[in-house]
Amino acid sequence: MRLRLLKDGFPNRPDLRVFAGYVLAAAVYVAIGVAVTDFLLSFWVGVAYIVLAAWAVPTIVRRLS
Amino acid sequence: MSWAAHDLEPYAFQRHLKLKVAFVPLLIGSYSPDMMTKWFVYGIHIGPWDLKATDPAKFHRGWPGFGFTHSLLYGLVIGLIIWKVFGSKLWGLSFVVGQFAHALTDTGDTVGTMLLFPWTFHVHLNAWAYAGQTGRMTDAAAYFSGLGSMWDAVWMVYGFYSWRVLTSDFFDNYIYRGDRFWPWINRWVPRGALLTIYRAAFFYGTSRWIAWTIWAHVIHHYPYDLSWGGPHWVHAAHP
Repeated sequence: MRLRLLKDGFPNRPDLRVFAGYVLAAAVYVAIGVAVTDFLLSFWVGVAYIVLAAWAVPTIVRRLS
Repeated sequence: MSWAAHDLEPYAFQRHLKLKVAFVPLLIGSYSPDMMTKWFVYGIHIGPWDLKATDPAKFHRGWPGFGFTHSLLYGLVIGLIIWKVFGSKLWGLSFVVGQFAHALTDTGDTVGTMLLFPWTFHVHLNAWAYAGQTGRMTDAAAYFSGLGSMWDAVWMVYGFYSWRVLTSDFFDNYIYRGDRFWPWINRWVPRGALLTIYRAAFFYGTSRWIAWTIWAHVIHHYPYDLSWGGPHWVHAAHP
């Protein structure tokens, strides 16, 4: 019972896979942002970037493969 | 002045309030006090012209100026207008929650906010230096060297602790179901893209907190000063 409660408190494997994708996208975003700080200034650039990196690219890759 | 808290706070509120608030107006409310003013605080170049407030802190937080956007009354008035014009009490209330969070968070710096406007007294806790008048880059360096960035970190850690609000199940059961905006926009935008857009502010707040911290301390070696009111190496504005 206790083990189950502990397990319920953590993300499952599919959640972690999604999280890993966002971490990868964040690493690229941070690298670009540190090099070109203007990239960090706009919320809309951030939204466009994450929609591209975390949704559009994976969707296109899934369709092609 | 907060650089990431306004992106992250809405997720914490969403965790506790679930269907009682709508995420989009909550986020708009959280951004609203700075929406029209930040560019003039830091200044911009348009062709041969440099546009910048002569007293950025007063313009941003004071009166005369746009400081009233950081007051509770402003949140209530705009929330009421949203309720009556769009006929959605949920949207009006959610805007108020987001705007209140912004106004209260900004009391943490040395300028503070006129929370009880039209009373022009600035509620300020002096926890971190307001340095908007020094320009965007120095402000970033100062902010990410003081307690302001630690306050952002609290919201970030709390966001990760509340990781369930970022899952697709939570999005489907609370965010999408709780607000007609999402089914309406889903007519043109696929559900997967909407889920990503929902997560975007958290991604944006967290990623740029990390990026600015690296920029300030790894690339430029600005010193940390986590003392109350710091960093003291920058000239802090006061009301």
